[in-house]
Amino acid sequence: MEKEIKRIITVLAGICILFVSLVVYLTYFQIFKADKVKNSSYNKRLWINEEKILRGSIIDRNGKILAYSELNGETYARVYNYGSLYSHIIGYSYRDYGKSNLELYYNNVLLNTSESAALNELKNLVEPNSEGNTLKLTIDHHLQEYSRNQMKGKKGAIVAMNPSTGEIYAMVSLPDFNPSTLREDWGNIVEDENSPLLNRAISGLYQPGSTFKVVTAISALENNMYMEDYECTGTAVVDGYPLKDYDGKGHGTVNLNEALIYSCNPYFAETGIKLGIDRLSETAEKFLLNREIPFDLPVKKSLFPKKGNIGKTDVAAASIGQGKVLVTPLNMALIASGIANKGDIMKPVLVKEVISKDGKVIDSFKAEMISRATDIFTANELKNMMVDVVNKGTGKNARISNIRVAGKTGTAENPSGNDHAWFIGFAPADDPKIAIAVILEEEGSTGGQKAAPIARNIMLEALNTINN
Amino acid sequence: MLNRGVNYKIPRNLLFLFESIALFLMFMYYRNALDRSTIIYGLSLIFIIYISNLILSKIVSGDNYIFLIVTMLASIGIIMIYRINYEQGFKQIIWISLGIVLFFATYFIVKRIKGWEKLFLYYCLASVFLFLATLLLGRRFKGAINWISIGGISFQPTEIIKILAILMIASYYTNYDRFKEKKWGRYYLIGIMYLFVFFLFLQRDLGSVLIFCSLFLALQYIYDENRKLVLANIVVLMFSGLLGYVIFPHVRIRFETWINPWEYIDTIGYQITQSLFAISEGGFFGTGLGLGHPDFIPEVSKDFIFSAICEEMGILTGIGVIMLFMILVYRGFKISINQRNKFFRIVALGISILFGIQSFIIFGGVINMIPLTGITIPFVSYGGSSMLSSFIALGILQVASEELDIEED
Repeated sequence: MEKEIKRIITVLAGICILFVSLVVYLTYFQIFKADKVKNSSYNKRLWINEEKILRGSIIDRNGKILAYSELNGETYARVYNYGSLYSHIIGYSYRDYGKSNLELYYNNVLLNTSESAALNELKNLVEPNSEGNTLKLTIDHHLQEYSRNQMKGKKGAIVAMNPSTGEIYAMVSLPDFNPSTLREDWGNIVEDENSPLLNRAISGLYQPGSTFKVVTAISALENNMYMEDYECTGTAVVDGYPLKDYDGKGHGTVNLNEALIYSCNPYFAETGIKLGIDRLSETAEKFLLNREIPFDLPVKKSLFPKKGNIGKTDVAAASIGQGKVLVTPLNMALIASGIANKGDIMKPVLVKEVISKDGKVIDSFKAEMISRATDIFTANELKNMMVDVVNKGTGKNARISNIRVAGKTGTAENPSGNDHAWFIGFAPADDPKIAIAVILEEEGSTGGQKAAPIARNIMLEALNTINN
Repeated sequence: MLNRGVNYKIPRNLLFLFESIALFLMFMYYRNALDRSTIIYGLSLIFIIYISNLILSKIVSGDNYIFLIVTMLASIGIIMIYRINYEQGFKQIIWISLGIVLFFATYFIVKRIKGWEKLFLYYCLASVFLFLATLLLGRRFKGAINWISIGGISFQPTEIIKILAILMIASYYTNYDRFKEKKWGRYYLIGIMYLFVFFLFLQRDLGSVLIFCSLFLALQYIYDENRKLVLANIVVLMFSGLLGYVIFPHVRIRFETWINPWEYIDTIGYQITQSLFAISEGGFFGTGLGLGHPDFIPEVSKDFIFSAICEEMGILTGIGVIMLFMILVYRGFKISINQRNKFFRIVALGISILFGIQSFIIFGGVINMIPLTGITIPFVSYGGSSMLSSFIALGILQVASEELDIEED
């Protein structure tokens, strides 16, 4: 009898443990998992509830309305004021096609529903809301429109930003699509081999070509391993594999500054080999390659060959931005910003403020440094070299009268097609207000010829129109 | 005596209050389609439950809580079902009323008639007969053959077999000393149970396989003198589980949807993901009765009623339902420990374990804590067979809660 009761109690304890585990799991699920589950686009409730809430507007830094919602019968529908212009920034929000970009990643803010389900409900009890928050972007509508017009008919991306705060003024990726007519265009969009849904500025990975030489140069300066007089014959042979200059002619005797001005491949290939992959990748990683870049939209990780087992040819190629180096245009804009901002790279920002329905600013971004890429002296030295690139070298097309512009051109060999044309830079060199990266995908021309003039125009427009 | 009377009254009245409020909300929800019969049905349900609790407290000398807990569970269930589909709601009211009648009938019959512990063979034969009937006459429903239809009335024999199995196990262990003396007497029960599990497997009723295995294992653990047999049984069951996983795709598929339901969201994972949406949407306090969308879940009033409760009444009510089952199981075990008649001691245990395990399997299933197997929540889910057999089991438990003669033989 004694034994029997003991066993009965053991079984009872077992069943109680099962029940308690149900309660624990249910609570755990509700607190930690429910939000993610709830926001799955497969959840039909989302749409039923959402369409009853007036989704917040999205405005540019000057208050211009870019997207808003309006009552359409019983439910709200989204209106995009500028068609394709913001397809890669704001994205779209449709019941049948889901959401993308800021509409997706700021969904809770736009609807004014909180992250935690429990908090949400408490809040709903106190104050049932039916109106979302407004997003104020760092984007300058005029510059965005201007930048996209500069790129008309081309493929590629532009990122223009404030180097000392990280605010993105313009971010263009072409081809794009029109969120207003998404339903009609969907079939064409998904079948288009130029992938208009891809935001090239943050998800496109390209070889940076010669623009990457600024990183190699910084590594050489920091490690004191640059060559004072290098005899450039136009070709450097690494492990029997010739690395040629763009035009194939030699530059004669060059130092680091001159090598950058004329974008001398053999010089940087030799320098890269001298530095070795360890030092090179250390500098590259400080400039956010191989790193996650925090941003309001997800950014693809730029790639640089890892330390360790890698051949000399690969090191040589990497040091001139070819081979296994792949970067996003945003990353290149951040590299330019870092040099402009005394060596500190600031966190890139798209959303400047969150404004509640009664006009109060409930959240605003704070400038935040995410990497100390180099020291102020090296940054300064590089800046002067980049000014020379624009004044005397490959970047002449980026010159602006009366303003010192720093820049670097790049022409990246593209194994699957025509060359990519690159330009990165900032202005004014002495007090940088704007930093930029421009890539023209498969342009088949040099960065100096095609990308530099676009960058110049945008920088000039930004300096003339953006004040703060 | 006076104290007891007062104590009993309070929970009964609380239940009455709960039902009235819920029904009022229900009427509000259906205010545009409200007719007189709806109101009459609703009010009569409250009346039936209140009166039967009142009668129960007057006529029985045993436990008064188990029936109260069960009527509370049934009330939550019916309100949810009614809100989802009011035709099912009407039917459910009839099932509950019938269930209560059956509860009292079972109570009187089981109490009056003596000698239940001597019918081992009959329980066994009746179960096998029902199993065979299911396999021969049964129709396949959602992959499992567990329904048979006679003269237009369809029911699930498994529900009856569960009770028969409990009675069988109880009579076996009550007469264990006699069986022991026979040559293979020690192995009678284990053989029969394996046969049952085999039948259930043929029906592809995995939920019931789980229930029978755990029920049998728990009772064997408590009562079998042959400890090695208990251990061997555990090993065999685990091994067969593994084997089943490897051999049968329909077992494997349950595991795969359990591990990652999102991957199969368009196909076999549809139900469970819809259930998870419902639960996460409800949060702690629920959307409010009539304000959620539990109707997005297929079969919501049967297997997924718990998800619907969580969505509209919040997981706090969900936890409340779990706790009600825990108390029910606890009361059942308490009844068992206090019962001096061995047969009814084991029967009380068996029924409590049945309620506990069955509800755990389906709660755990719909929240994706364990692989989902389609079974009903006793007293809560929509469905006649389940409701009636659960009330019969409860009637037996009610008898077991009273002081009974000790059989000496």
